[in-house]
Amino acid sequence: MSQKLIKIPFEEYMSPGSVACPGCGGNLSMRYTQKALGLNTMIVIPACCWSIIDGPTPSSVNHVPVFHTAFETAAATASGIKAGLHAQGKDDTNVMAWAGDGGTFDIGFQALSGAAERNEDILYVTYDNEAYMNTGIQRSSATPYGSWTTTTPNKKERPKKNLIEALAAHHIPYIATASVAFPDDLIKKVEKAKSLRGTKFIHILAPCPPGWKTPPEITIKLARLAVETKIFPLFEIEEGWRYHITHESSGIPVGQYLKPQGRFSHLTEADYETIQRDVERNYKILKMKEKMSKEISAMD
Amino acid sequence: MYDPLEDENGQPRFAVSTGDMSWNKTGSWRYMRPLYDNKIPPCTVGCPAHEKIPQYFAYVKDKKYEQAWHIILEDNPLPGVTGRVCYHPCEAVCNRGDYDESIAIHNMERFVADQNLKHHIPQSFIRDKHEETIAIIGSGPAGLSAAYQLTLLGYTVTIFEAAEQAGGMLRLGIPEYRLPREVLDKEIEDIVRLGVTIKTAIRVGRDIGMDTLQRDFNAVLIATGAYKSWGMNLPGEELKGIASGLSFLKEYNLTGSAPIGKRVVVVGGGNTAIDTARSALRLGADVTIVYRRSKAEMPAVPEEVEDAQREGIHIRFLTNPVGFSGNGKVEQIRLIRMELGEADESGRRRPIPIKGSEYTIDADQVLLAIGEVPDLDFLPDSFKLKKDRLLVDHFQRTGQPGIFACGDASTGPIGTVVDAIGTGKRAAHSIHQYLSSKTVHIPEEPTDGVPFDTLNLDYFQQESRPQERQHHSTQLKGDFNEVNLGIGEDDAVYEANRCFSCGTCTYCDNCLIFCPDVAIRFDVDKHEYVINYDFCKGCGICVQECPRNAMSYEEELKWA
Ligand SMILES: Cc1cc2nc3c(=O)[nH]c(=O)nc-3n(C[C@H](O)[C@H](O)[C@H](O)COP(=O)(O)OP(=O)(O)OC[C@H]3O[C@@H](n4cnc5c(N)ncnc54)[C@H](O)[C@@H]3O)c2cc1C
Ligand SMILES: Cc1ncc(C[n+]2csc(CCOP(=O)(O)OP(=O)(O)O)c2C)c(N)n1
Ligand code: SF4
Ligand code: SF4
Ligand SMILES: [Mg+2]
Repeated sequence: MSQKLIKIPFEEYMSPGSVACPGCGGNLSMRYTQKALGLNTMIVIPACCWSIIDGPTPSSVNHVPVFHTAFETAAATASGIKAGLHAQGKDDTNVMAWAGDGGTFDIGFQALSGAAERNEDILYVTYDNEAYMNTGIQRSSATPYGSWTTTTPNKKERPKKNLIEALAAHHIPYIATASVAFPDDLIKKVEKAKSLRGTKFIHILAPCPPGWKTPPEITIKLARLAVETKIFPLFEIEEGWRYHITHESSGIPVGQYLKPQGRFSHLTEADYETIQRDVERNYKILKMKEKMSKEISAMD
Repeated sequence: MYDPLEDENGQPRFAVSTGDMSWNKTGSWRYMRPLYDNKIPPCTVGCPAHEKIPQYFAYVKDKKYEQAWHIILEDNPLPGVTGRVCYHPCEAVCNRGDYDESIAIHNMERFVADQNLKHHIPQSFIRDKHEETIAIIGSGPAGLSAAYQLTLLGYTVTIFEAAEQAGGMLRLGIPEYRLPREVLDKEIEDIVRLGVTIKTAIRVGRDIGMDTLQRDFNAVLIATGAYKSWGMNLPGEELKGIASGLSFLKEYNLTGSAPIGKRVVVVGGGNTAIDTARSALRLGADVTIVYRRSKAEMPAVPEEVEDAQREGIHIRFLTNPVGFSGNGKVEQIRLIRMELGEADESGRRRPIPIKGSEYTIDADQVLLAIGEVPDLDFLPDSFKLKKDRLLVDHFQRTGQPGIFACGDASTGPIGTVVDAIGTGKRAAHSIHQYLSSKTVHIPEEPTDGVPFDTLNLDYFQQESRPQERQHHSTQLKGDFNEVNLGIGEDDAVYEANRCFSCGTCTYCDNCLIFCPDVAIRFDVDKHEYVINYDFCKGCGICVQECPRNAMSYEEELKWA
């Protein structure tokens, strides 16, 4: 007498008791990711909400070791741990750097770029809540156009950094976007990343109720709308050039995603139009890249 | 001992966490509490017998048809009948209708009943044993439903039936091409097997008195239906060849033949009119229905009107008879054209004759099907009536101690088989309370089903409703084979899955999957989800992501 709509692995590698806010998309992102990685894993977390969420050292909600490190060093630390494990012949242990958007798009970008260029055998996941949440909602380069933060009290005038493209330029084996509203897709992507050697990068959009000024219960609803409005399409890039959209966005108007969020409450219809136009263009570019990479594959 | 992870002072060199957080009981943060809370779906509210629709669908999904049937049987012992002839008010309020197309609930009911034609209602359904005996007058769906429920409650029931065979209108009125008699016989037999005695060919008031029943039984239930046909009081109505549609149907249905003309005119727009016309057609007549309003106002079920027209029955809308003529036997019927005026108390627009529009058509048989009222002559005058029906209260009580009434004979929801089944069930529970405690208290009828806008539609996609198969005869004369053939197994399973299961958990795991805090688990032994309130922060995601509103979100203070 059961009807499963979504199927995900049963085993849990995370326990309750985390310090995440109610409804935290970041907390859920970790829960799913670990379902794919399993126990033979080490996690590196730089300064970010998750360094608090996990609990005060040595406490941890995770069933695998968590190495806390400095804000800008996630990728470098993960690379070092991987090298240490390699020296001990433990090449099968997954090493995952797990960082916020600030620690990834901004201050940690140098370390990430270095690791990616060297093609270190690590998985780097950013749970993107689109601002420096842990320190009180300051803008990051992942904050989207139009958003309120404490450091953009009117609205952010610059668009969100297209980090995925910056990573693609490093020609690493695997890059993917993922969403907590699509756990099966997310888990599949982590499993794929786990099976590949070299640098893998996964970008998870993780709604943050206090930072986005939203009620906690709509976290999944928002994550889904971000995908379905084409604001945050779900896709993967292999070897930096083979694009594949894993879920076709249905194209719901962006207003439905923006309206319920307090951080966008000051936006006008004209802003919605601007955002809609950008979103349509970006999605078209993505579709063309997917088409182009298929054509190039066919030529090989 | 040397530990490379510690410095010379025994402090860790790195911040590595390997402990646990079970000490951090985050449940104390919660000010809203999610909880599992199944609710009543609109279909169950809309069904006058309140069948547990998503619950039996759950078994259909797993192809467990006997269990599905047992769920239906809690509320209705005649699903093979209602699955065929019920006008399915459940479907009119089905939430799926607000999304794409309502669930084909009546087809599902019929499918489940048909899968169980070889099974019988288990004796183990009888829950109790009581000394008291109950007499029921009439073996239509109302009497049968009450007899069944009273038997399950442990009473000894005797039904007195005037006709030669049990079934009421199901046998006397409804034609075989809509309700094959094997199905009716099987479902009545199932009730008899449980221990109900049906004494046929005994008319109360003629063969046995009401006073005898009151003396010999602890309670009496009147379920005598509505059999007296209304006449039109028109000139020439006494001519031979003019009769009620119901008497024609009764004669054909009981004996297998009835006198039939060549050109038959049926007067009326209800289901009796349609059944009369389609039966007459099958006996070889050319049939015209005359109805005083337009198609939109017809009380008959639209599908059956379509079927009648497809089969070749002419319908003259906005037309009414004004008289009949003929030499001892009807030969002509005089008609007048009508137009629609203001709405009347039934909400339908009142038909008004158009002056000077009279005309005449030939007819050698006229069957009047303009309504039936109960025949309550067997009762003393002390019983209160309202609009020709026995006045009853919400508990089906007549006001006379120990005498109850249900179905078409009494006031209240009337006119359909499932109303009869629903009021029969309620009468049974009233009688039980009357006999066991002398006070009657029945929970209020459910009035609100889970609203459409409380469902989470993210988990559904547009899907169409399966089409019922039909038997279309090229040679209708003599063909009383069933016309509607129901849906097959694939469609039934598909339809069970298409149902939103409003307010009823389907164990889809969404709550468990989307909990950020790993605070929900599934208890396999108890077959239920368990929320760990020591840790649940009350974010409410589980409640929001439940596709079917089977959870609630309440202020924690209520639980303090
Ligand atoms: C032609 C026709 C077609 C219909 N089609 C449909 C349909 O498709 N769907 C639907 O939902 N409804 C339909 N109806 C209505 C439906 O049949 C009735 O609403 C329903 O049968 C009422 O049930 P009941 O048990 O109250 O009465 P009935 O079914 O009328 O049964 C009453 C029984 O009491 C017996 N009885 C009467 N007086 C006495 C007495 N003094 N002593 C002993 N026994 C007595 C009668 O012989 C009869 O068997 C139709 C009605 C007709 C006439
Ligand atoms: C070098 C350095 N600068 C500043 C800080 C303070 N700091 C800690 S977490 C944080 C913000 C982290 O933002 P993000 O990476 O987006 O993660 P989030 O908290 O949003 O999850 C800041 C600025 C620090 N720990 N180290
Ligand atoms: S501030 Fe946002 S990201 Fe940080 S724990 Fe709370 S909900 Fe999660
Ligand atoms: S969708 Fe299913 S549960 Fe909901 S009203 Fe329709 S039949 Fe009933
Ligand atoms: Mg952040």
